Amino acid sequence: MPDDSSPSLKSPRQAALAGMKAAAGLPSFMLMASLIGVGGLCRDVGYPMGAAVASTLLVWAGPAQMVLFGSIAAGVALPLIAVAICVSSIRFVPMCMSILPLMREPAVPASDGQPARKGTPTWLMLILAHFVAVTAWVEGMRRLPGMPKPERIPYFLAFASTVMLAAAFSTGAGYYLIAKLPPALAAGLLFTSPIYFTVALAAGARQSVDWLALVLGFGAAPLVALIVPAGFDLMVGGIGMGSLAYAIHRLQQGRRRRAEGA
Amino acid sequence: MTATLAALEHWSGGLWPYLVVILFGFLPSEIWRWASVFLVRGLSEDAEILVWVRAVATALLAGVVAKLLLVPSGALAVVPVFWRWGALGAGILAFFIFRKSMLAGVIIGEAVLIGAALLAAG
Repeated sequence: MPDDSSPSLKSPRQAALAGMKAAAGLPSFMLMASLIGVGGLCRDVGYPMGAAVASTLLVWAGPAQMVLFGSIAAGVALPLIAVAICVSSIRFVPMCMSILPLMREPAVPASDGQPARKGTPTWLMLILAHFVAVTAWVEGMRRLPGMPKPERIPYFLAFASTVMLAAAFSTGAGYYLIAKLPPALAAGLLFTSPIYFTVALAAGARQSVDWLALVLGFGAAPLVALIVPAGFDLMVGGIGMGSLAYAIHRLQQGRRRRAEGA
Repeated sequence: MTATLAALEHWSGGLWPYLVVILFGFLPSEIWRWASVFLVRGLSEDAEILVWVRAVATALLAGVVAKLLLVPSGALAVVPVFWRWGALGAGILAFFIFRKSMLAGVIIGEAVLIGAALLAAG
């Protein structure tokens, strides 16, 4: 079997172990803290503990799960809840679109005596896509680009399923525990998502365009929330400020190129 | 619609909560993830359009964070607005002081927030 890989390449099992190790610390802790409340919400509507755990494994987005159980508790009609979740989940599109190409191996046609290689199959891409949520996205965008391509899928799958299992466990535990929490600690748990996302985004920012998008998206949010109807404000702000950051990045690039040319 | 749902609830019995999670939580969010798989077909990882897509995703998540602090839910709403932003600022500061340590950022930010929540509760 031809082996054109570098000697430092990890085997799939080693890459998966590295992914689990990366997941075991802060990412799992933060997800456990932010999903513990979903268990309590589920119990409030009289659903079994399994439904809370299933929501973590299937929906895999804390805010959407809170909307689901919170709205059921408030007596909102189920189809309306589905619409709200559908609208807020559009944010998965830019997230999936930016992380999936980092993992997919393209199909290579046979040439120069090399056999043709099949690309990553669609069923595997669908599974990878299912694991995409904020945590897996920020961590993946930060770590995957520096890795050899064959290591990325096992690493990501192991990372994401580890944090998902930890979160599912916490959702189930929260079903029984949450009512007994002192308010200051409950506030701290709700604060884990914003603080973790912020430092993870800052840690993942490499180019100036990342910083621009981060600062503009953050700064414009209060203004956009005033102008755009609720439910769409995040998407409008994201596209608007992301595009603005990209435009500034392109202008800077053009200026630099002209300066080099002169 | 309502009658269909009621019939479905009756028919599914004890499995109704799971059906709700699948039909009204899982499917409406998952279609976007699946759609993305087909949207990125043929795009290589260094395609220029992905720089823009990533900027949009980053700005969107920054907006999510801002929104969580602007319109806080539950127990977080009890913490005065100055301290919600102060805790975030302290976390970012700690992140940079401790040579980009995410752990330091999260711990310091949490400590400031929980401290403020304790004080606010009196």
